[in-house]
Amino acid sequence: MRRALDRTLFLASASCGVLACAVLVGFLAIIFSRGHSALTWSFFTDEMRQAGTGGGIVYNLVGTAILVGTAVVICAPFAIAIALLERVYLHNSTLRRILIGGIYTLNGVPTILFGIFGLIVFVKFFGWGKSWLTGGILLAALILPTVSVALIERIKSMPRKYLDAAAGLGLNESQIIWSVILPQSWGGLLTGLLLGLARAAGETAPIMFTATIFAGVSLPHGIHDSPVLSLPYHIFTLTQDSFDPSQDARLWGAAIVLLMLVLLLSLIALPSRLRIHEEAND
Amino acid sequence: MIEVCAQREAPPVMVERPQPVIAVRNLAVRTSARLILREASFAVERSQIFVLIGPSGAGKTTLLRCLNRLTDLMPGLQVTGEISVAEKSIYGPSVDVNALRARVGMIFQQPVIFPGSVAANVLFGAKRLRRMSRAEEETSLESVLREVALWGEVKDRLKAPALALSVGQQQRLCIARALAVQPEVLLMDEPTSALDPKSTQAIEDLLLRLKASRTIVLITHNIAQARRIADWIGCVYLRDGAGELVETSPCEEIFCNPRSHEVREYLSPL
Repeated sequence: MRRALDRTLFLASASCGVLACAVLVGFLAIIFSRGHSALTWSFFTDEMRQAGTGGGIVYNLVGTAILVGTAVVICAPFAIAIALLERVYLHNSTLRRILIGGIYTLNGVPTILFGIFGLIVFVKFFGWGKSWLTGGILLAALILPTVSVALIERIKSMPRKYLDAAAGLGLNESQIIWSVILPQSWGGLLTGLLLGLARAAGETAPIMFTATIFAGVSLPHGIHDSPVLSLPYHIFTLTQDSFDPSQDARLWGAAIVLLMLVLLLSLIALPSRLRIHEEAND
Repeated sequence: MIEVCAQREAPPVMVERPQPVIAVRNLAVRTSARLILREASFAVERSQIFVLIGPSGAGKTTLLRCLNRLTDLMPGLQVTGEISVAEKSIYGPSVDVNALRARVGMIFQQPVIFPGSVAANVLFGAKRLRRMSRAEEETSLESVLREVALWGEVKDRLKAPALALSVGQQQRLCIARALAVQPEVLLMDEPTSALDPKSTQAIEDLLLRLKASRTIVLITHNIAQARRIADWIGCVYLRDGAGELVETSPCEEIFCNPRSHEVREYLSPL
C-alpha cells in the first residue's frame, strides 16, 4: 500500500515535470516552425516597411536596446543604494522589514499599473508625450526589486571575515563599502541587472502608452515626444491588427528574436546566480 | 617543567611598574539573555606579550574583541566597565572607533586575504588611512614585509594574487597588513592554529621580534606556545556559565604556581 502510494506520487510529479517541459518545447516548436523563414540577415538590418509586412526589425531592436539600456543605467544606482541601506545603514530591523516589504510589494504591482502611472505622471503631467526616457524610467522601477534583491543576497553571502578584517584595520564605513562590499558584490549587481534586462526587454504594458509606437520613427532626437519602436509592442500590434496572425512569418520571426534575447540574458546570468545560492548555503 | 620552576627567581617585590598600555577594569560583556564575561580587570605593559588561555567558549575572543571595540560589530552585545589604551578610555563618547582600531590592530585565526595582489593586500588599510606617495607605498611595503620576514619570499611576486601564497605566508601577510597601519598594539586570535609547525615557528619568532616595538595580546590553545612566548598569562575559564578571568600572572608563575584549581586542571595534561 505504502509502496503504491510512493509510486503514484512519483508518477504524478514526473508527469507534471514532463508536461511543463512539453509545453515549453511545443511552444518553441510552434514559433520556430512559423517564424524561421523570416530570419534572414536583412530581417535584422532593414527598417520596417509597409506596416510590418515588409522589411526588418532593426529599429525595433535598437528601440528595445535603448529602453532597457536606459532602465539599467537608472536602476543600478538605486539598487546599490537600497542594498546598502538594507545591509549597512539600517540597524533597526523594523525599518529593514519595511524596506524589504516595500521592495516585494513593488515587485507585485501589475505592470499595466506602471504604464498608467507613467501615462499620468510623465506623459501628461510633465508633458513629455511619448518618450523613450519615460519607458526607461518605468522599466527601471519595474526591475528595481529584482536587481536590489540579487545584490542584497550577494552582500549577505559575503563572508563576515572580510568586514571584520577591514574594520580591524581601522577603515570607516564608507571605506569598507568602497573597498570591500562593492568590489565583492558587483557580480550580484550584474546578475540582477541581466535578469532585470531579460524581464524588461519582454514587457509591453508599461511602455505601450508611454514610450513606444508601432511605426514612423527611427532614433530618438530628444526627450519630448520622442518615442522609439520596440520588439514587444511590434509583436503586440502585428498580432492585433493582422488579418491572420498565425500566417505572418515576420510576426513569429520577431517573437523568436525577442525570446532568444530574453533567454540569452537569463542564461548569461545563470552561473553567477547559482554561485550566489552556493555561497549563501556555505 | 620541574627544572624550569626550580630555577625561577623570586618575583620582585613591589618594584615600580611603568604605566600599562592597556588597562582593563571591571569589563563585563552580556547579551540580553546571558552574561558572557564576568567582570575582568587586568593590565598589559608596553612591549609585553600577554597571552590569554582557557577552554573553548569561555569568552577569550569576546574579551579580545573588546580591546579594539570590534564587539561593536556584533549586534546585541552589551559591554560595561572601563578599558583604556595609552591612558585614554576607549569606550568614551568622543572616541573615534576607527582610529582606535588602526592603533589596536587585529589578526584573526584564519588569514583573511582580500582578492587582489600581495602588494594591494599589504597596503589595504594603510593607503586608505593616510595619504601615501608612490615612493612611500614602496618603502612601507618593503619594510613591513621585511619585518614579518616575508620579503625574501614574495619580493618577485608582489603583483601576484595573494591567495596563491601558502596559509603560513598569508598569515604573515595579514600581520604585515596590520603593521603597515602602524599600530601600537596587536591583538591576535589564535594566529597559528591553522598553521603547520614550521609556519607556527616563523610566526612565534616574528612575535618575539615584534614585541620590542609593540604590545601584543594573543589567544592560544597551545600551552607550549604560551609558555614559549608569553610574558604574562591570563586564564579565562567558565564559572557558572559565564566566562571569568580567573587568574593573571607572569608566565612562569602561572605554570609553576597556579593559584586557582581551574588553571591547574587546564594546564595538567591529564
